[in-house]
Amino acid sequence: MNIIGIAACVAGIAHTYIAKEKLTKAAEKRGHTIHIETQGQIGTEDELTDEQIKISDVVILAVDTSIKGRDRFAGKKIVEVSTEVVIHSAGNLIKHIEENIKA
Amino acid sequence: MNIETILNKNLINLNMQANTKDEAIKELTDLLYKAGNVKDGEAFIKDVYNREAEGKTGLGNHIAIPHGKSDAVNVTSIAVGRTKNDLIWESYDNLPVHVVILFAVRNVDKTTVHLKLLSQVAIALSDEEIFDKLLTTNDKGEVIYLLSNKIQ
Repeated sequence: MNIIGIAACVAGIAHTYIAKEKLTKAAEKRGHTIHIETQGQIGTEDELTDEQIKISDVVILAVDTSIKGRDRFAGKKIVEVSTEVVIHSAGNLIKHIEENIKA
Repeated sequence: MNIETILNKNLINLNMQANTKDEAIKELTDLLYKAGNVKDGEAFIKDVYNREAEGKTGLGNHIAIPHGKSDAVNVTSIAVGRTKNDLIWESYDNLPVHVVILFAVRNVDKTTVHLKLLSQVAIALSDEEIFDKLLTTNDKGEVIYLLSNKIQ
């Protein structure tokens, strides 16, 4: 699958980046392509491109706070969880998505 | 980028006396205060607890990453402490915490360099393989190495 998403925690200091790393590792381990944008204290990094969004099968929002640019995902399948869920069970989340979202 | 700007041996205590979460945050804040990185310990701790109120900072596996963004911070930096005592800390696995990594962040940072370094330390903490080493090493240099190995 082509997975995209956003990670954003309340303070935007630590959990955002741990969540991105965990999601990326878990998805790649299971053979998926993944791009995660981070919206943290430092600003937006690794901003998703129009092409990445266009070809994506699912959008994972690992967010504990309001995010910018949610309207980019209109019409997409969106899975929204807290950063905590991703940090503790990214692998299970990816498996759950595989089972419930047909690419 | 150089880890030394945010973390050095003066900001690490591998033999904290703390018996509680409060005492651990206080001990680490004292390290930051003595280094001149925090100018008002009480105000900083208040901001750390404001963040604690918003969600768990225990990462599981005996590690916690409290953090505070505060006007009381002079220099964005990290203090690392370890104690043999069981600290009760909110986390998904409810295991006692032994390693506390306290992030102190300036409210207004003129450069993003320090924030970038902090995010790269956070990325290092996504790799649970380093947790065992953080829990056992007696070498402050190794602590710095473990936390900085994702810095580009």
